[in-house]
Amino acid sequence: MRDTDVLGSLLAGDDPNEGAPVAVERTSAIEALPPRSRAWGEIDVRSDTPRWGMLVDTERCIGCWSCAVICRSENDVALGMWWNRILTDGDDLDTPTVGAHGQLEMAWLPLACQHCDDAPCEKVCPTAATYTNDEGVVMVDADRCIGCRYCMAACPYGVRVFNWGEPEKAPGVTEGMVHARPVGSVEKCSLCVHRLAEGQEPSCVVSCPAQARIFGDLNAPDSRINQLLRDRGGDQLLKEKGTEPKVRYLPPRRRRSL
Amino acid sequence: MTTLAPPGSPTPATGQRRRAGLLWYVALAVGLAIGLFSFGYQLSAGLTVTGLTNTVTWGLYIVLFMFLVGVSAGGLIVVAGGELVGSHQLESLNRLAVIVSGTAVAAAAVSIIPDLGRPWLAWHMMVGPQWMSPLVWDMAVISIYLAIAGVDLWILTRPEPMARWLRIMAVVTLPVAVLVHSVTAWIFGFLVARPFWNTAILAPLFISSALVSGTALVLIVAWVVRRVSTWDPPAHVFTDLAKLLAWFVAVDFFLLLAELVTAYTSQTAYHLAPLEMLFGGRQAPLFWGQLVLGVVLPFLVYVNPRLRTRMGLLVGAATLSVLGVFAKRVNILMPGMYEPQIALPPGVPAGRADQTFELGALYVPTWVEYGVVVGILAFSATLITVGVRRFVIPRSDGS
Ligand code: SF4
Ligand code: SF4
Ligand code: SF4
Repeated sequence: MRDTDVLGSLLAGDDPNEGAPVAVERTSAIEALPPRSRAWGEIDVRSDTPRWGMLVDTERCIGCWSCAVICRSENDVALGMWWNRILTDGDDLDTPTVGAHGQLEMAWLPLACQHCDDAPCEKVCPTAATYTNDEGVVMVDADRCIGCRYCMAACPYGVRVFNWGEPEKAPGVTEGMVHARPVGSVEKCSLCVHRLAEGQEPSCVVSCPAQARIFGDLNAPDSRINQLLRDRGGDQLLKEKGTEPKVRYLPPRRRRSL
Repeated sequence: MTTLAPPGSPTPATGQRRRAGLLWYVALAVGLAIGLFSFGYQLSAGLTVTGLTNTVTWGLYIVLFMFLVGVSAGGLIVVAGGELVGSHQLESLNRLAVIVSGTAVAAAAVSIIPDLGRPWLAWHMMVGPQWMSPLVWDMAVISIYLAIAGVDLWILTRPEPMARWLRIMAVVTLPVAVLVHSVTAWIFGFLVARPFWNTAILAPLFISSALVSGTALVLIVAWVVRRVSTWDPPAHVFTDLAKLLAWFVAVDFFLLLAELVTAYTSQTAYHLAPLEMLFGGRQAPLFWGQLVLGVVLPFLVYVNPRLRTRMGLLVGAATLSVLGVFAKRVNILMPGMYEPQIALPPGVPAGRADQTFELGALYVPTWVEYGVVVGILAFSATLITVGVRRFVIPRSDGS
C-alpha cells in the first residue's frame, strides 16, 4: 500500500495533466505494467484436487536472501525468527570450501518447511494443532497449540520457530498479510496459504530475482513443477528420514566455483 | 532433606525434634514460594525468560520430568515385585515406598506444565487428544500409574490386611510400571530427527535408570524418616535395598555400555557426533563425572558387605546414585538437542528479538528455571512429609 502511494504521487507529479485525481493515476500506473509481469504471481496449471509442491533450483539460487526477507513481511514474522532462511554450504558463511582442484566452491541451501507427506511434526503433536490440509500443506492451528514444542524436537529440518515472548516488530513495521501468532505457540512456513486461496504463488516464489523457486500442483501432470521434476529429477532433503517432503531441490548441474 | 536429622542423636528428644520439624516446614514453604514466584513470572513474560532457544527447545523442565517419572519406579516395584516373588523381606517399607512413588509421579505430571508455552490450553490434550502422539500415551499411563499408587496406599492403610487385593494390584502394577517408563522413553525414542534418542535401547535404559534412582530414593527417605521419628524398620531392609541396587546399577551400566559401544563401532558421523560431545565435548565433565561418582563409587559400596552395612556410606552412595541418574538424563537430552540434522551456517533463528542466528549455542538454564525446579522439589517433599506423617510413623508417637 505505502509503496504504491509513493509511486502514485510521483507519477501524479510528473503527469502533464495536472489536477487529475491521484487515484486514477495510480491505477493506470499499475495497469501499465507489461502483462508478463502481472502474470508472474499467478499459479499455472492446477487440478481440481491440488497437492502443492515447491522446487528449488540450487543452480539458479544466488544466495541473496530476497525470499527470506519477503517471507517475513508477508507473514508478519516477528523479530528474531525466520520461516525461511538461506544456508551456506562452504566452510563458513563467508569462507568458501577449497574444492577438488584447488577451486573455491560455495553453494546455497534455501530452507523452510518441507511440507512432508509423512510429517513427523504432525504425528507427535498431542493436540492435532499441526495438521495437513486438503491440499497437502502442513499447517499449525495457533488456537490449538499448547506450546509443548514436541513438533520442534520431531522436525528433522529445524524449520519451526517458537514465540518465546510477545512477538516484536522492527520500528515502523505495522503488519503483514496475516495475523501474528500468539506468545507461547509454534509457527513455520504455511506455503503462503492465504495467497494460494487467491490463486497466487507464495511470496518467496514471486520475489526470487533468480527465478530459482518453482511452485505448482504436483497433481497436475502439465504443471511446470511436474515437467521439471520429470526432466531433471528433484532431491528430497534428508531422504533417509522417510518424511517424503513436497519441497524438492534441483542439484546444480555444474558446481558453482568462484 | 537430611537437615531434618539433628546431628549425633539417633533418638532425639521430642522438643529438639519439634524444632527440627518446624524448620523443615519453613524450608518447604520457602521452596514452594520460590517455585510459585518463578512460575508466575514465567507465565507473565513467556518462556523467553528461560535459557531455551529454537535449537535447544527442551531443557531443565524436561530433564526433571524424565527424572521424576523414573524415580516413581522404585516404590511401586518394591511393593509389587516383593509381592509377586512372594518375598516379605521389604514389607515394612511398603507404605513409605508407595508414598514416594505416588508423589514422584504426581510431581512428574506437574513438571510438564511449566514447559508448556500456553499451559492454560493444556485441556486440549484431554478433550481432543491426537492418539498418534507418544505424549498423549504418556499422559494416559501416568494417570493410570497415579491411580494405582492411590489404590495401593488405600489397601496398605486398611486396618485389616488385604493380602489378596495387594496381590492383584501387584499383577496390574508391574506391566503399567514398565509401560510408564517405556512410553516416557518413546517420547524421545521415536524421533527420527534425533539420532542419539532414536534407538531401541532407550526404553530398557529408562527402566534400568528408573530402578536405580527409585530404589535409591526409597532408601534415603527411609533412612531420614527412621532418624527423625519413632518408625523403626528392621535393619536388614537397608542391606536388602543395597543388594538390589547393586544389580540395578550393574544392569543400568551394561545397557548404556551396549548402546555406546554399538554406536561407536558403527563409526558413522551420524552416530559419532553425539558420542564426541559425551566423551570429549561439552558434556564430557558430566559424563565422566557421572560414570565415576554416580556408577562406580556407589556400586563398590553396594557390593561390599562391609561397606554397605555402614549407614553413612550407604546413604551417601544412594544419594550419588540419585544425582548420577539425574546427570544421566541431562546427558541423554542435551546431545539430542544440540545436534541439528542440517548444521550449516548461519544456523537456526535463535528466537529472541535481539538475536539473529545460532549454530551449536550452549544451553544455560536461567534462575527462573531453577526456581521452578526448586518449587516442584519442595512440592514433592511436602507430599512425602505429609504422607509419611500420616501413614508411616506410628500414631503413638504423638506427632
Ligand atoms: S519440514 Fe518439519 S515442520 Fe515441515 S512438515 Fe516436515 S517435519 Fe513438519
Ligand atoms: S508445540 Fe503446538 S503444534 Fe507443536 S506439538 Fe505442541 S501443541 Fe502441537
Ligand atoms: S511459501 Fe510463504 S511462508 Fe513459506 S517460505 Fe515462502 S514466503 Fe515464507
